[in-house]
Amino acid sequence: MNDFINQALLEPLKLLGRHMLTVLPNVLAMGIILLGGMFTAWALGSFVERLFRVIGFDHLCNRLGMNAALLRGGVKTDPSRLVGRAIYWTVIVLASIAALGALNLTPINKFAQSLLAYVPHMVTAAVILLAGYFLSNFASQAVLIAAVNAGLPPARLIAACSRWGLQILAGAMALEQLGIAEHIVVVGFGITWGGIVLAGAIAFGLGAADLAKEFLERRLVARSKSSTVDDLRHL
Amino acid sequence: MNTHITPLTTPTEARIQDIGSAEILVGIPSYNNADTVGHVVRAVSVGLAKHFPGHRAVLVNSDGGSSDGTPAIVARTVVDFQHLFIGDQQSILHRIITPYHGIPGKGSAFRTIFEIARRLKARACAVVDADLRSISPEWIELLLRPIMEGGYDYVAPYYLRHKYDGTITNSLAYPLTRALYGQRIRQPIGGEFGFSGALAAHYLDQHVWESEVARFGIDIWMTTEAIASGARVCQSFLGAKIHNSKDPAADLSAMLMQVVGALFASMEQHESIWSPREGSQPVPLFGFPYEVGVEPIHVNVERMVSHYRQGLTDLEPIWRRILADDTFTQLRGLQGPSNTDCRIPDELWVQVVYDAATAYHQQVMPREHLLKALTPLYLGRTASFVHATQGLTSTEAEQKIEALCQTFERMKPYLVERWQPQALQPAAPALLHHTTTDAGGEHE
Repeated sequence: MNDFINQALLEPLKLLGRHMLTVLPNVLAMGIILLGGMFTAWALGSFVERLFRVIGFDHLCNRLGMNAALLRGGVKTDPSRLVGRAIYWTVIVLASIAALGALNLTPINKFAQSLLAYVPHMVTAAVILLAGYFLSNFASQAVLIAAVNAGLPPARLIAACSRWGLQILAGAMALEQLGIAEHIVVVGFGITWGGIVLAGAIAFGLGAADLAKEFLERRLVARSKSSTVDDLRHL
Repeated sequence: MNTHITPLTTPTEARIQDIGSAEILVGIPSYNNADTVGHVVRAVSVGLAKHFPGHRAVLVNSDGGSSDGTPAIVARTVVDFQHLFIGDQQSILHRIITPYHGIPGKGSAFRTIFEIARRLKARACAVVDADLRSISPEWIELLLRPIMEGGYDYVAPYYLRHKYDGTITNSLAYPLTRALYGQRIRQPIGGEFGFSGALAAHYLDQHVWESEVARFGIDIWMTTEAIASGARVCQSFLGAKIHNSKDPAADLSAMLMQVVGALFASMEQHESIWSPREGSQPVPLFGFPYEVGVEPIHVNVERMVSHYRQGLTDLEPIWRRILADDTFTQLRGLQGPSNTDCRIPDELWVQVVYDAATAYHQQVMPREHLLKALTPLYLGRTASFVHATQGLTSTEAEQKIEALCQTFERMKPYLVERWQPQALQPAAPALLHHTTTDAGGEHE
């Protein structure tokens, strides 16, 4: 009877106890890492948020039209807070990966390593998207002003094309960086862009031949239509 | 005061060594002006020989890489003094023909002229454009004598111009400069100026040579800097100004950006000087004013209004960021049914300019974008001016400009309030040895 109790009941319990004693330090370490990570995330996020406020990051974003774009997208949080939250969640994710690694379980370790190896790509993709967004805003505004000053009727269309062209380019580069359907993205982008240029060229050649002729005449030959210009001296 | 050396070419350095020093320096910035530069050089040579025969003088041609042989014409142009009844030419006119360094533009050409003036320790300097057709030897006397004998530091030109010649000057540069600094300098971006050697040295020491000042912004910058530095300023009546058009490659928006950018940048630098000033004073005028016929100018109002209307539609989001809500609402309310109709009243135009200056100061968007986005507004205002002055004589058109100036002055508190809410402490100008210009009669 005693043997039965020892073998059938106590042994599994002892085994469980040994297992628990083996895993417990790792679980404890995971908890500490998680707690430490949460504290670090909070501290770093708050610090970065305050720092960005002090250096006038919100004002800069406002000048670049970022605040208006965020509002259009339904985001009412200011950019400094957004950056602070992004830092917070990045640290939380990193801490979670490190905490899972502390369990020292082979499948989890492999998963954590592959996740960590992917982080630089995600950061690079995010930077590309952000830079593309700012650049497209700046360029489209410059193109719009130049087109209006040149008296081109489709000024807004030209500006919108430049904006979306740059944003699509940035999106394609970001997807390539993330390794998502690399070849499809590159080929798709090439076909789309080439198609747009070809369509534009054909449309311009067929529909605006006179405009092109007039433009080239203005550029290459002395102005003949004196009635359309004036000799106003501005300075 | 910091002294910054402007680089000169080795032959120019050697030429300066040869000459040693000079009392008078006349500079001619040029770029592909082969048609007119010979006449300008002759006028300068005769002017110096006739009016300053006993003074050691130097003519400096600062060229921007002309491909039409402009420097060669400057070098070989000679004057037959006998036929001009000038027999007492006492000193040889030295010539320095040099390319300039830096950003291509009139401002960089001036910088080289200022540097040569400093090296030669010139007492009085003048600059005249190389595209002038109406320059006479008397211009040289009128630009230099107030410096040589009147104790002035800066001589601005006073021309007779067609009512549609110099529209940036009439609608913006003159009224704004006058309202800001309280000095009625009628042609602040005239192109021809006289200035003392001390003022040339002061110009050189400013850190502006990589900005819009290096291009068309130089003229307005020289004027505002002269006033702000406490230089004694005056004007000289030069008669009619007839000249070839400016660099054809320079489009209106770039030109406007350079002039207005330089003006707004000066406002930022000198806000403690302009903000407390109220009203304006006449600036002494030398020379003998007379009436003269000026070249008629053909104006295409329809094209200007079309540009303005397109701006009102397409640039709305940008204008809304530059202008106050009330200003934009008023502009919107002005739209009439006719395609050629555009009437921006004086008060509204002043609000537009003051709003734009404030937006520039507060950097609500990249400054280049802001300045270029003003082009359709400027064209709208110019069309309004043409509408308002059609059929008027030059004198009557001048009265309209005077009324605009008074509106700029009257509405200055609007600018001060928007520019910076807190009160500014007035600062005394201390860069030059003089105090501000004496208030005097309009004519001397």
